[in-house]
Amino acid sequence: MKKQLLLTSLSAVLAFGLAACGNSNTAENSKEPSNSGAGSASGEKTKISYWTGDRHDAEFVKEKVADFNATNTDGIEVELVVKGDDFDTALDLSFQTADSPDVIRVKENTIGTFYKKEYLAPIDEYLSDDMKAKFPEMVNLNTFDGKRYSLPNYGTTMRLVYNKDLFAKAGITKPPTTLQELVDTAKKLTAAGKADGAYGFAQNFKSPASALGRSARVIAEMSGFGGFGYDFKTARYDFSGFKPIIEAFKQIKDDGSMLPGVESLDIDPLRAQFAEGKIGMYLSFSSEPGVYSTQFPAKIDWAAAPAPTIDGNAKGASGFLGGQWLALSAKSKHKDAAWKFMEYMYSDQMLTAYQENGYGISMVPSISASAKIPEVKGIEGFLPNQYDGVWPVYPAVAPEGMKSDDAFFKYMLNGGDLDATIADLNKRYNAALDDAMKNDGLKAEPDPGFNPAALAGKFAK
Amino acid sequence: MRTKEITGKTVLWIFLLALAFVTLIPVVITILGSFKTNVELTTGATFLPSKWHFSNYADAWDKAHFSTYTVNSLIVSLSTVAGTLLVASMAAYVVDRMDFFGKKIYIGMQSFTMFVAVGAVVLRPQFDLMVRLHLHSSLWGVILILISAHASIFFILLSFMKGIPRELDEAARIDGSSLGRTFWTIILPLLGPGLGVGALFTFRGAWNEYLLPLVFTMTKPELQTLTVGLANLKYGISAASQTHYMMAGACLSIMPILVAYVFANKSFMQMTAGSLKG
Amino acid sequence: MNKTKNATFAYSFLLPSALLTLVLGIYPIAWAFRYMFYNYKGYGTARFIGLDNFSRILRDAEFWDSVVNTFVYAGGKLLLSIPLSLLLAAILNRKIRGRQLLRAVFFMPTVISTAVMAVVFFTIFNSYNGILNQFLIKFNISSSGIDWLGPKHAMLTVILVAVWGAVGNYMLLFLAGLQNIPEDVYESSSLDGANKIQQFRFITLPMLGPVLQMVIMLAIINALKGYESIMVLTEGGPAGKTEVMFLYLYKLFFPVGGSSASTQVQEFGYGSAVAFVSALIVGMISVIYFYASRRMNRID
Repeated sequence: MKKQLLLTSLSAVLAFGLAACGNSNTAENSKEPSNSGAGSASGEKTKISYWTGDRHDAEFVKEKVADFNATNTDGIEVELVVKGDDFDTALDLSFQTADSPDVIRVKENTIGTFYKKEYLAPIDEYLSDDMKAKFPEMVNLNTFDGKRYSLPNYGTTMRLVYNKDLFAKAGITKPPTTLQELVDTAKKLTAAGKADGAYGFAQNFKSPASALGRSARVIAEMSGFGGFGYDFKTARYDFSGFKPIIEAFKQIKDDGSMLPGVESLDIDPLRAQFAEGKIGMYLSFSSEPGVYSTQFPAKIDWAAAPAPTIDGNAKGASGFLGGQWLALSAKSKHKDAAWKFMEYMYSDQMLTAYQENGYGISMVPSISASAKIPEVKGIEGFLPNQYDGVWPVYPAVAPEGMKSDDAFFKYMLNGGDLDATIADLNKRYNAALDDAMKNDGLKAEPDPGFNPAALAGKFAK
Repeated sequence: MRTKEITGKTVLWIFLLALAFVTLIPVVITILGSFKTNVELTTGATFLPSKWHFSNYADAWDKAHFSTYTVNSLIVSLSTVAGTLLVASMAAYVVDRMDFFGKKIYIGMQSFTMFVAVGAVVLRPQFDLMVRLHLHSSLWGVILILISAHASIFFILLSFMKGIPRELDEAARIDGSSLGRTFWTIILPLLGPGLGVGALFTFRGAWNEYLLPLVFTMTKPELQTLTVGLANLKYGISAASQTHYMMAGACLSIMPILVAYVFANKSFMQMTAGSLKG
Repeated sequence: MNKTKNATFAYSFLLPSALLTLVLGIYPIAWAFRYMFYNYKGYGTARFIGLDNFSRILRDAEFWDSVVNTFVYAGGKLLLSIPLSLLLAAILNRKIRGRQLLRAVFFMPTVISTAVMAVVFFTIFNSYNGILNQFLIKFNISSSGIDWLGPKHAMLTVILVAVWGAVGNYMLLFLAGLQNIPEDVYESSSLDGANKIQQFRFITLPMLGPVLQMVIMLAIINALKGYESIMVLTEGGPAGKTEVMFLYLYKLFFPVGGSSASTQVQEFGYGSAVAFVSALIVGMISVIYFYASRRMNRID
């Protein structure tokens, strides 16, 4: 009896599965011609697609794309495709078929790769003189080998985020500006807050690259060192600038001023604890105010201040990340239509709305001069100040063995010889750099006149 | 004797209940978590929700396009189950019961695919192949690739096949049954428990598959499956993940697997029930 | 019997499986493996470098550390999960009260997605305010809690989580295997005065032979290859303490993007070589196991 039941259900599943599949397939097949038929009947609609991995502005962009589709007089119809973490994988695969997008959202860490993969088309021929003047040209961020591939819209700044209530409780009046002050402040905050389970400092070390990429990086950059260990003056990797920073972090941890369990802490739990008032300070990007106003409503009063420097002297610039937004696909069959859409997206009205709605901090000088401050609590501290500046792009390499962030975190946990760790990192990173230059055509040339302090001050005085 | 039995029973039940408790705690936390706000869930300080947010479910349902995507997921999962069981049981039958040239090669091939893991790297050649077959924007491509990964189900069925007495084949042969007929009428019904557990595992695997449907529905959003919709729940209006929606979505998407489990579980009952009757 | 006819039958039944495996399984792997002799970063031209990737593996301490971690992880997972699931299957195959419910309970963990597991287990194990530590402190078992995800205990924790997720699977496979043992065998043996433990030792285990052998084999392969739950729980940390072979490999192919601005370099060529060596290690252990366990393959 039971056996028969099983067999029947198995064959039913089989039949249903096949039938359902057949259905979906025929439905899909029958849809396609009817769609294209409708398109040609209504008079030459040019269909283009725009792919983005951004989520924070998805509703806004959806609305604006619908507006464009309804109002443009050139018969252009834009399909918006919003993807997540898998954006790069999906894009790679789409370029193997005819289904690649016409307009692509590019970021500071993807535009270089996409350029090398020949996904992008230069936009110089479309740019009016007006636009050329309005949008700053940034080498390796939107311009490659003399040609422009994208234009900036908004960018991201990095700051020290701090709990004002806890500062008041500990009797501290101003955020730390040196590493020593950072260590001392963390200690005092912990002393004042520990009874309530609050600690002075936290970092999201579940991913050391993520933790140090938002903390050690900006401290190094403010102090005049490349945030990823690359020295633009000599065109060599040199991590020695990180030594005092990592030592200070280790000191904070050894003092017991670090939130317990940071080894496995992700950024979201860190934010949630900060919103609850359990963390005194941390370093992060300008996406934080949005989190505390919408997702993790902060129960405490907080603010953002410039990141500390090693010794109180700002010899560099606090990285202002961005410089690119939309790019034209090299494989697009409708480049003119795609550019019309890009023009619409880069209109003053749109860029102003981006800043004023709090989606990002404008990097276009004429917009940042005129647009209002967004109405998001805490964003004031993230707006460009005299320290912010755009760093040049460093040549990323894949060294043999442990990555710098992992090596530094290992030292923070286990101790050991930091000088030896740094010497070893320098050796391996430079070996990988030499190899990539020799064999893969990577370009890295010394710039003896490079002055990191001169990067700052271009967005605000 | 009597007290010994009672002590034995008590120890057994303490063991079972303790293990069940430990097993269920994370599941209970998942379910309770799906009713919390994002901040309460991410902070992790509470066990019970301080306030029950049933709206998480309504939001997750809408945002993940549950009603439409579930149909696609069912199509993919059920077809994959049917295809996998068919292909793997046929292969297991001939490999166990017959001798032929290339058998060792075939087994080696199946083992090889199990030893290797290059993750999503194989997506590129697989996608290339499907482009050539014009299946790169349909669920058929996904189903075929999922069916092709049937090595472990093959080995499971092979081991179950060994437990079916060969005398049965022999008897059927003497009765004049062809090899194919023996497979369908004698072997498959006796393979019930193996097929049941194989179906369940395949269903679960296909139901949770994320990258394949994502890649193959890039240009056809109407074909997306539930996992793709669920993954989208993570993203909100700002930088932090919407963990509360993820939890609610996960709880909803567990249901079909539990239904599959109920069906599969029936197949573990048959022998006991059968021999009781006999 | 006609021999050619038999062979034709065998090949026709094997064809769908062989074809699918070859085209969609083996070919894509071969496609990826050919890069093991190249320096390839995922774009541009792949540069032939002979065996350089393999000599790099030999001096790659991180990789060998991950191999050691893999053995610890897989060993721990197998030693706990196989006996436990076998025991549960044997108990829940008997007509005890509530066995249907208990089977469902032990199956539950296997349906929870890994992405959700990360959140749930962090809630349980995190040392700052995790549920487990709150419990331990409240009942005075530990004064300040245990650093479950810290350097000392992280491996133990990921093993426990893996066991939690695996027991239900193997229990079901064993349960299914037990259905092939006719009830009357037990009945006659209990008449002979055999107790339950003796029954288990002399009837259940031998008759479960082939299924037991195969399930353990799959369990070994899964344990050696498993990395997803570790990835979501600790990402291999802290400081590489839970980095297993296939997680290390995964990171070579898909570097974890730390901050939004660091450019990640995909190590496609080196990754392929590591994938090959890892497959060799898994294959070798499987083959050794398979020969060592041949005896289980017979039903006497």
